[in-house]
Amino acid sequence: MSADEIIHQPVRLRIMATLNALPEGERIEFTRLKAILNATDGNLGAHLTTLENAGYIGIEKDFVAKKPRTRVALTRIGRRAFARHVSYLRDIIDGAAGEDAEKRP
Amino acid sequence: MTLTPQDAGAALRDIEAAQARSAELRGYQHAAPNFLIWGIIWAVGYGLSDPFPRHAGSIWAVLVPIGLAAGLFAAHGGKPTFAWRYGAVALAMLAFFAATFFVMAPVSGKQIAAFVPLFVALAYVLCGVFRGPRYAVAGIAVAAATLVGFVWLQQHFFLWMAIVGGGALMLAGFWLRRV
Repeated sequence: MSADEIIHQPVRLRIMATLNALPEGERIEFTRLKAILNATDGNLGAHLTTLENAGYIGIEKDFVAKKPRTRVALTRIGRRAFARHVSYLRDIIDGAAGEDAEKRP
Repeated sequence: MTLTPQDAGAALRDIEAAQARSAELRGYQHAAPNFLIWGIIWAVGYGLSDPFPRHAGSIWAVLVPIGLAAGLFAAHGGKPTFAWRYGAVALAMLAFFAATFFVMAPVSGKQIAAFVPLFVALAYVLCGVFRGPRYAVAGIAVAAATLVGFVWLQQHFFLWMAIVGGGALMLAGFWLRRV
């Protein structure tokens, strides 16, 4: 198993973690996500596009009271990929802990 | 891509922090409508109890079910999984107040009117310990407003609670909606 390079980028990692904390199917507004992550429009938009192209998130655009609204949600593929990546990270730490234990006299 | 244990540890800490913040802010967002609704209910209830203290019981008997119904639908759209919990919490609180007033036998309406918000404030503070500091701040504000009004504004305690108590809840509701 290897690191998911799409997810592991720091901003995308935080995007995925933020979305993963929501119940399945729940969307978050772009403006809210931007504020949570303390990101700029352009930066967040670029990372969301990367995640969307990978099939990890879904982006929905509509209008509410004539104002455009963009909402983002994790897809099932994205949720599974994130779980795999977290599991990979834990394995690295567990492996390192195991090696340390073996080295002890 | 190969990661060191230090990289993996840092990434896991980032994930944990992001998930905790996401869950906390989601909780605030869901709680906000209830704060706003109960702020309005308090403003109306205490506001009417001030000129009509003899009818305070009837006023609250009408307003509390309205607040419960509105709070339930505003926060979670009346989803059955949440509805029974919301109903159970409301029922437990009402039973607690009834039992407490039976045992303690308050001698004035103002004591009842102060005890309920103090209990609500305690619930918010406890919630804040586990779910996010904004609840605790709201609880402390409500408790402080209640005690100040009870001690120094006996004559217009209901009016004070309508404006300051209800206002504190509404302000907390707006604050919880913010990221």
